[in-house]
Amino acid sequence: MSKTSGKVDQSYWGIVKRQFKKNRMAVWSLRMVYVIMFIGIMADFIANDKPIFCRINGNSYFPVFKSYGVGLGIAKYPQELANVNWNDVKYDFVIRTPIPYSPQNLDLKNKDYKSPFDEQDVESSRWRHHLGTDNLGRDVLAGMVHGTRTAMLVGIISMSISIIIGIFFGALAGYFGDKGMQMSRGRFWLSIFGLLLGIYYAFGVRGYHLSKALAEGMGGFLVQLILSLLILFGVFALFNGLAVLLKRIPFFGKKVNVPVDILVSRLIEVKVSIPTLLLILSIVAVMSRPNILMVMVIIGFTSWTGIAKYTRSELLKVRSLEFIQAAQSLGYSELRTIFKHALPNSLSSVLVAIAFGVAGAILLESSLSFLGIGMRPEDVTWGSMLSGARGYFKAWWLAIIPGFAIFVTVTVFNLLGEGLTDAMDPRLKQ
Amino acid sequence: MFKYIAKRIAYFIPTLLIISLITFGLSKITPGDPVKLALGNRDSGGDAGQALEKMASEKAYYEKAENLGFNLPTFYLALTSSAEPDTMHKFVKKTDKETLGSFISQYGNWKEIAAYHKQIKDIEFSLFEVVVDNTIFENMKEIKQKVQLLYMTSDDMDISNHIKSLLKNTEGHPRLNTVYLKTQKLEAAYNEMKEKKTPSKNYIPSLKWYGSENQYHRWLLGNAPWFFGEAQPGQSKGFIRGDFGQSYLDSRPIASKLKDAIPWTLLMNVLSLVIFYAISIPIGVFSATNKGSKADRISTFVLFLMYSLPNFWIATLLVTFITTDEYGLNLFPTYGLGEVDDDMSFLEIMGTRAYHLVLPVFCLVYGGIAYVSRQMRTGMLNTLGQDYIRTARAKGNDEKTVVWKHAFRNSLIPIITMFAGIFPALIGGSFVIEYIFSIPGMGKLALEALTARDFPMIFTVMMLGAVLTLVGNLVADIMYSVVDPRISFDK
Repeated sequence: MSKTSGKVDQSYWGIVKRQFKKNRMAVWSLRMVYVIMFIGIMADFIANDKPIFCRINGNSYFPVFKSYGVGLGIAKYPQELANVNWNDVKYDFVIRTPIPYSPQNLDLKNKDYKSPFDEQDVESSRWRHHLGTDNLGRDVLAGMVHGTRTAMLVGIISMSISIIIGIFFGALAGYFGDKGMQMSRGRFWLSIFGLLLGIYYAFGVRGYHLSKALAEGMGGFLVQLILSLLILFGVFALFNGLAVLLKRIPFFGKKVNVPVDILVSRLIEVKVSIPTLLLILSIVAVMSRPNILMVMVIIGFTSWTGIAKYTRSELLKVRSLEFIQAAQSLGYSELRTIFKHALPNSLSSVLVAIAFGVAGAILLESSLSFLGIGMRPEDVTWGSMLSGARGYFKAWWLAIIPGFAIFVTVTVFNLLGEGLTDAMDPRLKQ
Repeated sequence: MFKYIAKRIAYFIPTLLIISLITFGLSKITPGDPVKLALGNRDSGGDAGQALEKMASEKAYYEKAENLGFNLPTFYLALTSSAEPDTMHKFVKKTDKETLGSFISQYGNWKEIAAYHKQIKDIEFSLFEVVVDNTIFENMKEIKQKVQLLYMTSDDMDISNHIKSLLKNTEGHPRLNTVYLKTQKLEAAYNEMKEKKTPSKNYIPSLKWYGSENQYHRWLLGNAPWFFGEAQPGQSKGFIRGDFGQSYLDSRPIASKLKDAIPWTLLMNVLSLVIFYAISIPIGVFSATNKGSKADRISTFVLFLMYSLPNFWIATLLVTFITTDEYGLNLFPTYGLGEVDDDMSFLEIMGTRAYHLVLPVFCLVYGGIAYVSRQMRTGMLNTLGQDYIRTARAKGNDEKTVVWKHAFRNSLIPIITMFAGIFPALIGGSFVIEYIFSIPGMGKLALEALTARDFPMIFTVMMLGAVLTLVGNLVADIMYSVVDPRISFDK
């Protein structure tokens, strides 16, 4: 992507960029995405019951920053601020966030659905609930701001998981196809055997350690899980090493064909056959204490098929191109060819799948939280706020506002996907 | 053609088997003790005072477990460690299973572990023979509690503390002498277990084969005779013969609950499918043939927005604004399917149902219209750019013939294959709509089951959802071959 002044950038991405900029809707969508990301990242500084800065009895505090430290477990609130209601504290000087409420704050004076236009029992317009409250007196605007963060997290967490899984399977199927992966008979059988044994040592033998760690907390569980995965890969690698020796025996040295594409396509078909919402429902059902974060992870694990399909079809095209053949004939390892040559040249269309995937994930999460699946009572998301409207038909603001936010976010990502598709379409290149 | 369909069905079976394995696997990791859940979560006698009572509830527990097949091995085969006995599955209680499993992974000597476990049981039952009076009342309470705790813990410190407490509470009381002696035996058994440990056995895998007498087999295929003879009470016919087990919630057979629910879900989905295909195909063709016109641009934009409109939002808006008097527009019923009694004529019944289904079906339809007509437009545009269309035009056919006779059928192909992808999405989407409009379909059943932790119901719905989707795919494939005669399937 060299940019020399006066010259038009003729690299692939340069052209894509120019095409993309011609599409006004897409450009505006991208700007919207920035706005959404900004709100999501800055949520704590936009809507919070803790002040950004305050001075009490001559001491200065930065409670919002402090709350990050407390959340991470590396700091503690000072004695006089521990367990206080932030709105009741007598401050000498205070800088509050634009919206002085957290989504979980219950404003008991304004509970039972106060409309944005209603008379509200507040001290001044500074404390007004600009978008009204819900049945418990929670500020809707604050909920909207923090809901943006949830939506953004869904996009990031779910998508990173599905990108990893999707690209892995898609690349495997697309690059090797049905005839591309050949290995010696010995390696084939040893791989299967090694995988089974690896699973046994990693999860069977260590099952009790894992479940014990899970009961104790997420951090310890992750350590144990990583350890288990290391064992799995270790055993698998060991058996693959053995295969090198075994290859000398003619019977085991004979090449067999692994129909990777068929296997992956079957896997995708199985996955697609189970309605996603039902699959998530069943997985959430077996969790003893589900929460939003877990729901996001589950969404990631259940929505990788789109990306896998895109990657697969793109790699099927790319692998027959000359530069891949060149890489292969130069004797590069398969991993190097895939990761350094084939994948980077097919990622552009995966970008499209990611944009649509984010839209889908946000939609899915909001419908799950609308249904109350995986939600704890204190969680506030767009979906859960929308479902609040079902209790009380007069609360039009609860019916309109959160739903509109979901709609805008989903549309923006869909438009972005659309714009990217058009920009990358070689037929439109001028 | 026939061969092709046969091949498709042959593909269908392994996919279904894998899905059944996933479903079954999920159902096996549910939290809580399934037998207790099935018994309606009554406690199987933690504090039951009398020996008879305790034995009765214990018996009920094991009978239920046997009835549900929980005393069987889980699967045809199992890869376990050689430290684990073949008969581990006979321990039905989840707490027992967990404690014993933890012992095995710590000590790996099954014989000693079993002896220890038996000794706890021995103490528990000998407690019933103790005549309680004031002098030992408090001690008994303590002892009972400790015995229950011993069942559940595998932690060395905890166990020694519990045993110490047992010894302390029983020592010197003539009435508790037997218990005291047994506790001493327990301590000996525990020490022996710790001394003779062989944890290395855990690292030797062993493959065990159990045959068809296992839970998966019984769940999927049942143990009732297939062709001759009646099913005995307590025998299951298995999932594929329509025996889905009993709901934990009300002990009704799941099949009968579903029989009431499935028609509504299917009706809603098929109805919406027909409607949105009927509407969107003309729209797609129109905007493709008038590509670039103002009408095309507007319809493309509107359809795009429609596609992104979450249907649960639209449903909530509709329910809020046009089904109540709150905003002066009470046009449609808020929820349910309406009251129907036997006096009503067929038309009246149809009318009531249709009136109640307008909004839910609308919510399912508009998203589909947006999606399908966009695809139809793309498909049509692709087809119109083909050479044979130019040929058809060159022959002097008028535009109508070109579009409908030459292009239309070929552009239908992507639409039909899409059917396979739409169907699962539709079923999933209709769950939310059913929930919002309180329509007693599969979705509402599944969501209710989720809150009640009625696992057999959840997994049956999941499995059936998958089966419906697979059948949808099959139908799509067969239709595909009907629409496109160019494709030869008999290769």
